[in-house]
Amino acid sequence: MEKAVKTDFFSMDRRTFLKVVGAIGASAFLGLHQTEITKALELSKTKIIWLHGAECTGCSESFVDASNPDIVQALNKLSVEIVYHETLLAHQGIFVDGSPANTSELNSEMLLDEAIEEGGYVLVVEGSIPNGPEGSGKYLMIGERTFKEIFEKAAKNANFIVAVGACAAYGGITCGDSDIVDLTDFRGVAFQKEDKNKGMLTVLNIDKPVINIAGCPAHPDWVMLTLAAAILGKIDVNNLDGVVDQYNRPLVFFPANSTMHDNCPRRGYYDTGRLDTELAGPGCLLKVGCKGPYTRSDCGLRKWNGGVSMCTQAGSPCISCCEPGFPDSASPFYQMAEDQPLMASVSAGTIAKVGAGVAVLGVAAHAARRIVFNNEDEKQE
Amino acid sequence: MTRVVVDPLTRIEGHLRVSTEVDENGVITEAKSSGTLFRGLERILLNRDPRDAARYTQRVCGVCPTGHALASANALDDLFGVAEQIPKDALVTRNIIAGLNMAASHATHIYVLWMPDIVNPAYRDALVTVGDTGNAIWNELLGRFAPISYKLNGTAITPGTAYINAIKEKKRIEEAMALIAGKMPHQMSTVVGGVTYPPTVADIGKLSSYYLQVMDFINGSTLGVDTTTWLNNTFRASSPQNAVKFLQEHLQGLVDKSLTTNDFSHAAGWGDVEMLAAFGSELVGEKLLGLPVSFKLDKVGGYSKESNVGYLSFGAFYDVENGEGYDPLTFGEKSFIKSAYINSAGEKQSFDQSKITEETSHGFYDGEGNLHPLEGITDPVKTAAEIDYTGDSTSKYTWFKAPRYDGIPCETGPISRMMAIDEPLTTGLMNALSENGYSPVNVFTRMVARAQELLILTEQLLKWVTVDLDPNGKFYVHTDLSMAKDSEGVGLWEAPRGALGHWVKTGSDSKITNYQMIIPTTWNLSPRDASGVPGPMEQCLVGTKISAIDNLLKVDYANPTGIFHTGRSFDPCLACAVHTIDLTKKNKPQTYTIV
Repeated sequence: MEKAVKTDFFSMDRRTFLKVVGAIGASAFLGLHQTEITKALELSKTKIIWLHGAECTGCSESFVDASNPDIVQALNKLSVEIVYHETLLAHQGIFVDGSPANTSELNSEMLLDEAIEEGGYVLVVEGSIPNGPEGSGKYLMIGERTFKEIFEKAAKNANFIVAVGACAAYGGITCGDSDIVDLTDFRGVAFQKEDKNKGMLTVLNIDKPVINIAGCPAHPDWVMLTLAAAILGKIDVNNLDGVVDQYNRPLVFFPANSTMHDNCPRRGYYDTGRLDTELAGPGCLLKVGCKGPYTRSDCGLRKWNGGVSMCTQAGSPCISCCEPGFPDSASPFYQMAEDQPLMASVSAGTIAKVGAGVAVLGVAAHAARRIVFNNEDEKQE
Repeated sequence: MTRVVVDPLTRIEGHLRVSTEVDENGVITEAKSSGTLFRGLERILLNRDPRDAARYTQRVCGVCPTGHALASANALDDLFGVAEQIPKDALVTRNIIAGLNMAASHATHIYVLWMPDIVNPAYRDALVTVGDTGNAIWNELLGRFAPISYKLNGTAITPGTAYINAIKEKKRIEEAMALIAGKMPHQMSTVVGGVTYPPTVADIGKLSSYYLQVMDFINGSTLGVDTTTWLNNTFRASSPQNAVKFLQEHLQGLVDKSLTTNDFSHAAGWGDVEMLAAFGSELVGEKLLGLPVSFKLDKVGGYSKESNVGYLSFGAFYDVENGEGYDPLTFGEKSFIKSAYINSAGEKQSFDQSKITEETSHGFYDGEGNLHPLEGITDPVKTAAEIDYTGDSTSKYTWFKAPRYDGIPCETGPISRMMAIDEPLTTGLMNALSENGYSPVNVFTRMVARAQELLILTEQLLKWVTVDLDPNGKFYVHTDLSMAKDSEGVGLWEAPRGALGHWVKTGSDSKITNYQMIIPTTWNLSPRDASGVPGPMEQCLVGTKISAIDNLLKVDYANPTGIFHTGRSFDPCLACAVHTIDLTKKNKPQTYTIV
């Protein structure tokens, strides 16, 4: 316990992190480290340009709900300055007879250009980046430019990029399988679904460090703590080996060797074989479609919205929103894994053996995890 | 003519472009509304398990996800044939979740998205002309409503107290939602058949505690009087005239005191709503109260006599007094917020969804027709050259379709809902404005309606939590996928920003064969239709002065507050509003019988 208090959690490996968190409880852990986190933000003088692509603003909403630290502490009392954010700032784009008008105190287009040209900022991207139609990117235009063009300009001059949420990281819902998916051609910053050769940075031939904060939406702690760690130099954005996984997710939040299932509030029901077959019950949700065993996230420990609850605690199967294949990898959401190919076409048939007893359950879940997570992860164990 | 374009119109959800032509007197003569993002989410729903729709459709919008979850759950209840059996306590829980989301969304809109407009430098410049009183008012407004990262003449402005505190309350409300729905945004609880989580006795205690904390903010910041007193004299006033009379007398007391002291603080009784009510309106502020200045928001974003517009509410919040079940098509007749269509003359008619049509003559879609939304195919332009926002009003200029009710463009949102329930304060103010030659619907009344709805909801939420919710009740009724075979469902609800409809149809394998959403912002920000009739926002921009306070100081094309205020007063949600496409035409046009 004492050791945990003094440990610099940003430098912990994920195993130690989980051990520590497991030992003292997630909220106690965050409470213990809040001073350090707050200090991290206090010490820095950091500009953030926050761009909105093809998005629903859910990640901004989530960010505004942050508690560790909260947004007021981070943005106003501390020295983190959001220099551009379409939903929050007073500014807007103003054009008179085709030319940008007024000054950057009121005109967001001028503000954005000035901030980009000044450089020295962290670029946060929310939402995916349309490449269609015909590679033009015109399925999203802002201020008479394509978003693709704005992203290109902002990415080139950024210190590093944080892709916030499933859409910015992997395309998310905008890359959900459909017969128009090739036409719209939405891209994550550095990935399209699991494919790291199809991110928008590759299209634009830009090489920048990218940290992906998965989730639909991204948990505000994940965003705040990642920004704090990077800003403070606790992690070297130019050498993210051992800090992020193969999908650029911070291992501390998306641990390679552990799934949401391991720390699920309903785990006890799973261990004793109480598997609900209908929603609105108290038991384990595996049989009603829970994808917790296939989802790398610390939701079970951290929980959501000030730590009051989380999906499975509220009786909902996990829909695996932290995996790069979301939503397709977890669909159908309310159907047990055995019935459907899961996680990038890997059939998780092993999970079908659950229900016979604790030992079998444990083996099955572990086996499923081995099938789902690729060999690289196994080597890291 | 001067061409003034606001792009992006920020502090909304999504990406909006507003193009206007402004004459030499600073009056807008023509307006075009353009949604500039296309995502195509409805298309993504095809061939999926329909139960997933209540999760997928929340991703349409992270600000009002619960509106979509409820509309979707209603459509699925209908699709699975269980709407009549949804347990009463599941309905109560859905009401609480949706009510909390609406409250959080309204608080966010009022404080974070809209009120920063009031600290536009144009108002500083106007207020200093009124001497010490003007300066006092400006300082009070700036101290309350300045947003983050705001600078004036190079000086960084501290974010306003009301702004900052509202963010904390918005967070608290979402915490309350997460307590019974897992997380926010994109809550997990509302599913076909009911909800996934039965709130416990402990949860009810915690929800009540959240309620008291939120009410501390409302009683200490939003209102200058106790909320119950306010609602007794407005929402429960014996007539619209009496509601306005109460408001006038209440404000007159504040004005008489403060004009001599120049103290417009909370301590002097000036809640945020009182500030808006007194200074927002020329009629209330200057003509009734005798203030030396007002922002004249009642002259911004209103309709002219020539306008062609109606008002629409689909209804929201199940009637839980009468036990389990509801009828997805007629529940708005009994729901807490009623369904209604109100014509431009203010006459209320019963709502009939079969009168809804949509067409795409000015959207970036191929094909024509004025069809019920479920009959048409929307086929987007596929080349970059066709996506051009700079054409004239005969061109294609948006990703929105043009929905019409009985051929009429409709405004939807809190103002339409307050009309649908005959809310005395809102309708009283509208009557007074109308009698004095103003448009009854304008930026001022839209904001009053939103604030009033927020206050009404807080009271109703407490009732649902402490009176109606039985933690020992039933929360879910059995469903399985086979019940959705060859079926269809209609889901109507009110999102915070207006009327929201979902329609779903399934095939023999129970998978989705068509899913359509008609979204509040699509109504409000609709483009012109084939006959050239502009959408509601386009109509009410025309005639609006481009600059602050009726162009009081000057015509300033470079600070077009008339566009900012009008656009934002609709609380637009662009991600919601843009419809999907069907590129491959795999799905032929289908005719749906809406029972």
